[in-house]
Amino acid sequence: MKVVKNLVASFTLKSEFAARRNKLYRIAYSWCHDSALSDDLVQETIYKAIKNAAKLRDIETIDTWLYRILYNCWQDYLRVKNRNVEFTEMHDEEQSGSSESYQQSQIVKRVRASVEKLPLPLREVVTLADFAGFSYAQIAEITDVPIGTVMSRLFRARKNLKQQLLEFGSDDLSEFKLRRIK
Amino acid sequence: MDIKDITEDKLNLFIDEQLDTDEMNEIREALLDDKDLRERVCQLKAVRELIGYAYSEVPPSRHEDQNKKHSGLLFGRAAAASVMLVVGVALGWSTYEYSPNATRSISAENTFQYVANHVKADRGTRKIILHIDSSDLQVVNAALNEADQLLATYRKANAPIELDIITNKSGIDILRPGVSPYISRIKELIDNNDEVAIYACNRSIAKALKKEGVEIVLMPEVTKDKSARELIPQRLEKGWVYIKA
Repeated sequence: MKVVKNLVASFTLKSEFAARRNKLYRIAYSWCHDSALSDDLVQETIYKAIKNAAKLRDIETIDTWLYRILYNCWQDYLRVKNRNVEFTEMHDEEQSGSSESYQQSQIVKRVRASVEKLPLPLREVVTLADFAGFSYAQIAEITDVPIGTVMSRLFRARKNLKQQLLEFGSDDLSEFKLRRIK
Repeated sequence: MDIKDITEDKLNLFIDEQLDTDEMNEIREALLDDKDLRERVCQLKAVRELIGYAYSEVPPSRHEDQNKKHSGLLFGRAAAASVMLVVGVALGWSTYEYSPNATRSISAENTFQYVANHVKADRGTRKIILHIDSSDLQVVNAALNEADQLLATYRKANAPIELDIITNKSGIDILRPGVSPYISRIKELIDNNDEVAIYACNRSIAKALKKEGVEIVLMPEVTKDKSARELIPQRLEKGWVYIKA
């Protein structure tokens, strides 16, 4: 009976990992802007997660736990490549698309290019917060830095991005409408 | 609170809802009186949203590639949709403007003027999206007041209007009988106005179900077969005006 129970638990965990695969990939991509490397990082993360599944004591913390593994894999990669000071070889890949989506893809490119210019620690924190939606405390746990450091990095990243992106909205966007009421 | 005391760090904490209730309310109050402060908040929120959308679609992984041979069209549409939202957010930086006399929300007259100035001058039906992604009391009240004012203004002007209220994230909670204090008000809004339709994001419903472990029951009038990220860009592409609560 215990064997069956373990098998079910193992199957459930693998399903949980698989369900998070795409989002892990997107976060990895936001850090390195390289699809092949992102794939490798996620593969490595899932492998390590399965191998160390017994260490996950509370299923509620699975997201923080998985992203911490991903973050460690990414840091390992940087260390091995001696790139832990500044990672400079990233280039966003060209995306195929129709002419209709050209303008939109240009905006996405500009945002990604701005993110790419951020120092790595700022980039990691801002994507974990503003793309993955983690709280300050969760990011502190994932990146293993004090929560004050997380806040400082996040605020600096946003300030930097605001300066870089402020000119948006003035060029070819006049056909779109948005207004806020609060 | 003195507006000079509101640092950039504090505004970051505000948009991330990391301040205590009193401080959150103090900043909300300050926002009502200070245009520059509203602009700063809007810019920070726009940066946050742009980051989110810039990575919502990325080059497919090998793993995704294998699974997506039959869904290329859908993927393309989703990418375009999410980017349309980015464009909308980006423009928000330049169009975010209140009247000098603005109080809790923009007056109906200003809204009407805005729409008159910005919607394609086709003399057809005015089409407006009211997007609610929060169950915060002030936000929802302002949004529902806005809906009432819009409908009243257009009716008075004898101008046809379509108003789609699209909810997601915690905004879906306002549609939950037994949970929301707004049920009777929203029902009245729908019953008295054929031109109003209300939607709940199916992704947000699924997330709430997963989080709470119980079925998420919504008002029967609510359409809930699509996500907000599908509904909003589809309308923006067709020239609808977007109002964010």
